[in-house]
Amino acid sequence: MKSSYRGRLGQIPIYLGKCFRSFLYMDDWKMLPMSAVIAGIVSLVACQYLFVTMEGTTSGGFTLVCVCIWVGMFNSIQVICRERSIVKREHRSGMHISSYVISHMIYQAFLCILQTIIILMTCKYCNVQFPSDGVVFRWFMLDAGITLFLITYSADMLSLMISGIVSTPTAAMTIVPFVLIVQLVFSGTMFPLEGEYVKYLTGLTISKWGMECLCSIGNYNSLPMVSLWNQIFNYRNIEIGGVQPIRELTNYMQYTIADESTNLTVRDQFNLQVGQYNANPAYANTQSHVLDCWGMLILFAIIYAVITILILERIDRDKR
Amino acid sequence: MSYDKIKVWLDLIQLILVTIGLWNMFPKFGISKFWSIVPFGRFHKLAQCADREEDGIGCMICVGLEFILGIVLRLCQQNAPELTRMINIVALAILVVSVITLVHYLRIYIGLCEVFNRSKWWVLLWIAIKGVSALIWGCSKDFQPVNSARLAAAPLSGTTEAATNEGLVVNITKRTAGVLFNRTTLLRDIHFTIEPGRMILLLGGSGSGKTTLVNAITGYEKAKAKITLNGEDVYKNFDKMKYQIGFVPQQETIRLNDTVYSTVEDNAYLRLPSSVDDHELKERVNQVLEEFGLTAAKHRFVSKQSGGMKKRVSISMEYVSNPDLFVLDEPDSGLDGIMARSLMQKLHNISREGGIIIVITHTPDRVIDLFDGVLVLARDSARTGRLAFYGTVDEAKAFFEKDTMEGIVQVINRNDEGGEGRADEMIQRFEEVRS
Repeated sequence: MKSSYRGRLGQIPIYLGKCFRSFLYMDDWKMLPMSAVIAGIVSLVACQYLFVTMEGTTSGGFTLVCVCIWVGMFNSIQVICRERSIVKREHRSGMHISSYVISHMIYQAFLCILQTIIILMTCKYCNVQFPSDGVVFRWFMLDAGITLFLITYSADMLSLMISGIVSTPTAAMTIVPFVLIVQLVFSGTMFPLEGEYVKYLTGLTISKWGMECLCSIGNYNSLPMVSLWNQIFNYRNIEIGGVQPIRELTNYMQYTIADESTNLTVRDQFNLQVGQYNANPAYANTQSHVLDCWGMLILFAIIYAVITILILERIDRDKR
Repeated sequence: MSYDKIKVWLDLIQLILVTIGLWNMFPKFGISKFWSIVPFGRFHKLAQCADREEDGIGCMICVGLEFILGIVLRLCQQNAPELTRMINIVALAILVVSVITLVHYLRIYIGLCEVFNRSKWWVLLWIAIKGVSALIWGCSKDFQPVNSARLAAAPLSGTTEAATNEGLVVNITKRTAGVLFNRTTLLRDIHFTIEPGRMILLLGGSGSGKTTLVNAITGYEKAKAKITLNGEDVYKNFDKMKYQIGFVPQQETIRLNDTVYSTVEDNAYLRLPSSVDDHELKERVNQVLEEFGLTAAKHRFVSKQSGGMKKRVSISMEYVSNPDLFVLDEPDSGLDGIMARSLMQKLHNISREGGIIIVITHTPDRVIDLFDGVLVLARDSARTGRLAFYGTVDEAKAFFEKDTMEGIVQVINRNDEGGEGRADEMIQRFEEVRS
């Protein structure tokens, strides 16, 4: 009589159990307070004007994206490589690689959800001013939560893939900085990138889509741009012929109400109009754009997971 | 006639002479003469004749590179002579590659002189007029290899084990590793049958291919072979049969952050048929833990266990499915004599239940009375793992004229490993005794 053994689906609970035991017993839970600490530091330093001004949203959003990528990458960078010989042995005993990777995907999703909640709560606690209305859902926090989760999860899957490719934890930790640098440099946020090929490369980074998504849900294009005003304000003491023309201008702009209904000053309206001049179509506050960004991040996560499976299927060829 | 034309003619004549020379030389080393007409590949084969395989690969790459760069240079000179900087760079690259090629050639020619037992002055002739040298060394009957490792190896037996419906029948023709020209033969000509209920010791020096052999037997690394377990072809039915084969690797490959019970239970879920219900499965896990003396520690973490206990956990993981073939790679390494004996006794008892147990160990003498037979694997002069003996422990002692297993290893180990370097002799003798 032909015996049947547990298939791919049947093996997933076995490895999920292992993952959750690892969470409890192998200090994986320490990733949670670590994400709170990183988010706290970043919120206090770089997120004061997040969703308040264009500049604050760019720098704060970028920092938040970096936190998510950092946290996500460190979740799973050593997960497979530290137990590569065990995976090899278990594969020999009948373990399906796809079951192993899928159970890790589920477990890492759980970890990323917890970390996203912690990051958002930390930001809230550090007085980051979140808008109230969302783009896709009614609540902004839900949109932001899904965005941060997808950024963290994609980065997590990327590092899971790296962990599946390399054979030692040392090699994995050596690669991480390079991947992080690529994510930061090619996000197209902090450094202007030109050229056709660079654009394609940018499209392959988690940071680019994460940043676009975060700015879109934060309604970046309707925020005021304050850098020009700040520049003008810095020169208010310049005297020409015994007169301080810039001071006069700034005083006028600061203290003159332009619109009685909204109580906005001339300065406020000036900043808003400067912002409109600098609107970025990539940050359009539309549902379809946000969904596109989410779709890209999900696609990245799936592609990384599939590559991990394909690579680990060849684990039998590992040399002793 | 212009200089270029003369050079082309000379190159052509040299090519023909080298080809004729190698056509006749390769058969002297048991290499197919058709390799002499394979561009680039023939240099690797020539290096194999000279026992300088690594230089062969280097030489092959360099000659290939030189060829490509030569074409690039010619194209540049003909079509874009204004690109002087480019032409100079390519010419410089050709020069560098030529120097490296020459070094590889030198090593190969020196190797050939050693293999043919000829004066090293011949190297100069090889470099100056390669075609003539190849022709002489290939065609002359006075030039015969005398020191070649390829030829010193014992001849193949040509025997095979008859198939049976019981036990393990191994017929390995060859197990190679590497790609294309760089293929190395790790195992060759290994044939034996192990009846059910026997515990066999796999003996051999370091690098003799013991782990490669068990990987080939278990179907994990496939060889050119036919392996049957209880009448079923292991390679053809590997997906089904892997559950009937237990393999305990040499290294500690268990998760330290799990409890002993969870570790064995998870493996039971993987290795036992899905028809086994949870109650039966847990019963089996508890039974195995009891058999291996792990019950008291079952809820403790693996990381907290001693080396001996970890070994037991590792064995229990495989034994939980009660495999027909159980292979253990150095299960007693790091254990003291008493613990090692207790573990081997346990394995001996398991074998009495009808399974086949193959054990690799480097300290066999302290437990030799527990084994039913010995398989001796030796590395011949061609550095290939071959079967040097298979029989009972007493027969092995008589065959090798030694009182201990360590003594047997000493006989087959190379001189530079502190052994007697008689592997080829013993391989050949065993084949004579067997036939």
